[in-house]
Amino acid sequence: MLKNYFKTAWRNLLNNKLFSFINIMGLALGMTCSLLIMLWVKDELAMDKFHANDSRLYRVMENQFFSGAISTFPSTPGIFAENVVKDIPEIQMASQFLWEEEPLFTVNDTFDKEKGRYVQKDFLKMFSFKLTKGDVATALARPDAVVLSKKLADKYFKGQDPMGKMIRIDNRENVIVTGVLDEIPKSSSLKFDFLMSFDLWAKQNTWAKDWGNNGPRCYVMLAPNTSLEKVNAKLKGYIKSKNKGSNVEVFLQNYGESYLYSNWEDGKPNGGRIEYVRIFSVVAIVILLIACINFMNLATARSLKRSREIGVRKVVGASKRQLIGQFIGESLLVSFMAMGAALLIVLFILPSFNALTDKQLALNFGDASFWSTIILLTLLTGIISGSYPALFMSSLKPIVVLKGALKINPSAAFFRKALVVFQFSLSIILILGMIVVYRQIDFIHNKNLGFAREDLLFIPLEGELAKNFPTFKQELLKQPGIKNVTSASSSPLEVGSSTQGVTWPGKDTTKLILFSSNPISYDYINTMGIQLVNGRDFSNGYGTDTLNYLVNEAAARKIGYKDPVGKELTMWGDKGTIIGVMKDFHHNSLHVPIEPLILRLVKKDWGYGSFVIIRSEAGKTKQALASMEKMVKQFNPGFPFRYNFTDQEISKTYKTEFTVNKLSRYFAFLAIFISCLGLFGLVTFTAEQRTKEIGVRKVLGASVPGILAMLSKDFLRLVLIAIVIASPLAWWAMHKWLQDFAYRIDIGWSVFVIADFAAIAIAMLTVSFQAVKAARANPVKSLRTE
Amino acid sequence: MIRLKDISKWYSNGSAKAHILRHIDIEINEGEFVSIMGPSGSGKSTLLHLMGMIDDPSEGEYFFEGESVFTLKEKQRSELYKKHIGFVFQAYHLIDELTVYENIETPLLYHKISSAERKAMVADILDRFQIVGKKDLFPEQLSGGQQQLVGIARAVITKPKLILADEPTGNLNSKQGEEIMDLFTRLNKEEGVTIIQVTHSEKNASYGSRTINLLDGKIAL
Ligand SMILES: Nc1ncnc2c1ncn2[C@@H]1O[C@H](COP(=O)(O)OP(=O)(O)OP(=O)(O)O)[C@@H](O)[C@H]1O
Ligand SMILES: [Mg+2]
Repeated sequence: MLKNYFKTAWRNLLNNKLFSFINIMGLALGMTCSLLIMLWVKDELAMDKFHANDSRLYRVMENQFFSGAISTFPSTPGIFAENVVKDIPEIQMASQFLWEEEPLFTVNDTFDKEKGRYVQKDFLKMFSFKLTKGDVATALARPDAVVLSKKLADKYFKGQDPMGKMIRIDNRENVIVTGVLDEIPKSSSLKFDFLMSFDLWAKQNTWAKDWGNNGPRCYVMLAPNTSLEKVNAKLKGYIKSKNKGSNVEVFLQNYGESYLYSNWEDGKPNGGRIEYVRIFSVVAIVILLIACINFMNLATARSLKRSREIGVRKVVGASKRQLIGQFIGESLLVSFMAMGAALLIVLFILPSFNALTDKQLALNFGDASFWSTIILLTLLTGIISGSYPALFMSSLKPIVVLKGALKINPSAAFFRKALVVFQFSLSIILILGMIVVYRQIDFIHNKNLGFAREDLLFIPLEGELAKNFPTFKQELLKQPGIKNVTSASSSPLEVGSSTQGVTWPGKDTTKLILFSSNPISYDYINTMGIQLVNGRDFSNGYGTDTLNYLVNEAAARKIGYKDPVGKELTMWGDKGTIIGVMKDFHHNSLHVPIEPLILRLVKKDWGYGSFVIIRSEAGKTKQALASMEKMVKQFNPGFPFRYNFTDQEISKTYKTEFTVNKLSRYFAFLAIFISCLGLFGLVTFTAEQRTKEIGVRKVLGASVPGILAMLSKDFLRLVLIAIVIASPLAWWAMHKWLQDFAYRIDIGWSVFVIADFAAIAIAMLTVSFQAVKAARANPVKSLRTE
Repeated sequence: MIRLKDISKWYSNGSAKAHILRHIDIEINEGEFVSIMGPSGSGKSTLLHLMGMIDDPSEGEYFFEGESVFTLKEKQRSELYKKHIGFVFQAYHLIDELTVYENIETPLLYHKISSAERKAMVADILDRFQIVGKKDLFPEQLSGGQQQLVGIARAVITKPKLILADEPTGNLNSKQGEEIMDLFTRLNKEEGVTIIQVTHSEKNASYGSRTINLLDGKIAL
């Protein structure tokens, strides 16, 4: 029996090569897309879940309350961990965890800057990062301990046992190697080349020991079987109990979840990467569905052709169940073939997909769960796509089909049309989404940030440079290719620090207002290319500028002065004057609105900030880089030369969006391609069905365009209906997506015009390809063969 | 075995009704060999389809071995049909994608007959119809007469109690036609198979024990 079915199915495939190709190809493409997304989603969901103590590991989050709004950050006072383990017994272990630092490592003649983290002694006991040398329980116990990655161990101690060896850090401290890390799993969002004692860092950064300052992250591990609610209840007032008048509250978020749920609004979790996981999961299902619809459509359309076989089988004794089985079996055959093709395609494009998504996904052929997923997906696809044709065909009445009186069943025709509409609606939504994403990314890319991001470089202000910055600046300005030089506490990408310590006469003291602050040195405005709307820049000429301030328009509005220039302002107790107002510029990413910003000159005892910012002469980047390298080598011989281009770094902050942009383009293309494949099949079929009618009409004098119109009209109508359905849905979805950006495009009508026109054009092109062929066929020939 | 009571069939064509069969009463006993004759368009095929349970009347009752066929559920009806009836179509109706061998084998599959037995039965039939040499050809590679032979072979292979044949010899030469009639006679006499055939040929009709004449959808006496 199965053999008989298989033979019929196989010969049917061979006898209808075009339809078979369309079916298998469409399904294979849909499956490829689903497989890729499944791999990606699985990888995302597995991020940070490998730690043995996963369910007990938490990240400390902090709600900061300012002028009615709640901002949520993973930052804590640097003395939080050591205190909280003592004060709250349910918290078994805790470790501060610093942002990525890049200190200078020196061992004899080898030196370089290395990226890693400062953590506390229990860190390796809480997290499952394995050591190949050393003991997790004691490796971080001493304050001068360092744990190296294998890479660093090889780099600094080639061919020797690194354990117990000494490394000089930042030409200031000596640390001792107490462990070597095993490879960090791919599924860890935390990556580091070394771990050092947080206390070592805190020694240099005494501000972190104050309950009123927040910065380092903190991770905690709860005792087994502890109620999270209970601990959170205890934590709520914890900081306030240490620091009267504090306006922050802390709570715990499961560490394994923090990767996907990283956005917060009003103190509540509000998505994050999980949204992309959801969106792409939906896209995977949608594209697979589009491909399944092709199959259903072509199969029901072709049922007219196969109806005789069905009738005969019924008459010789086939039951309805057996026929359903046969047709489901056929679609399973097709879906298994498609899966074979899909796996090949995936193998082929996985490297590019990995490059695009910055992952290391792989098909795990040795894994039983991989195969069961594949088989399940194939069965599901086969059954979904085969179900309707099977039900439809098996219920045909034998006498009707055998007498050849089977006309296009109106309900089947309706269903088929509905499927095409559904398919095109989905495609149009994807096209619209793609255009909106593209435009938003383009908008970000080209938005006037309020400063000139091109030709703007920055390098860390470190080592000797930090001491001799004014001389360095003078010397650098003499070199070719350099236009302006300044220094600042924050990079041009992001002004990280903010303060409430700003007062002025007439301020409403009941309100807490947060100002971003960025201490800078001379020539900052010129170098950055910021416009002043009023007043003047800081200048050497005025001796008193150290107590003066530049504010941006947002800050001026917050302060409320009508004409701020010359008015009084006090920051951190320094009473001074506002000397100028800057036009608002984006000192942070476009995801957040422009915040009030105050610039002031760095004080002598602060150093000159953390970054040297350099503007090169336009078109002389190479020369400028050479000049910079020469000068840095000269002033700072113990440090490697590192630099950043501002525009490139800005682009990097939108990496996720860029990836989404590219992916959405591929997926939209795929969706419309698969839909068109199906449409092509349907038109071919219709033309085939109506060959005789077309022949007769032509003999009676119909023109080619007339017949073309006749054949295309129906399909065009379907696409139009799809447009009507898809447009509002797409608008709604993209409107939601855009809410993630403080600065965003309007979804104008032009987006709809482009998408709709594209859908119509592509559909018509597909239709006319076959229709022209049918319309131009020699009528005599087609009539004779009938 | 078969009892048709007051069967009528019509197609509504707008408001007008086109009557194909009018008030047909027929009783056919087990072991009979009946021929149905009548001019083209008189409703012979329609009547045969009704008796074969593959078409429904507009009105009337049908008892097959005492069971009221038209009140049965589709599943039971097809079981009944599968068990007892073999049908030969005027238009052969072979499955294009299957070879001669496979076409003949198909009903056996639905009758759940073991593969060894199937082989033997198909070989026997091919032999009896002298089409062994054609067994691997597809229907489109056969002449009309050959296709008709395959259609008959397919109907008799399940050893049905009732064979309904719609102009089984219409495309055969006279020698082949005689052979088929001999086969039917043998099945009828030796195995007690009931046979109802539609035919235009007086000669073929004479093989039967009784002839029913149809005229304009009515039984002509
Ligand atoms: N679907 C239908 N709609 C309307 N009339 C139909 C339909 N099917 C068959 N008829 C009519 O029913 C009548 C009987 O048809 P049937 O096939 O039973 O004739 P027949 O006696 O077998 O003729 P022939 O000897 O040519 O095979 C014919 O006049 C035909 O036009
Ligand atoms: Mg007839």
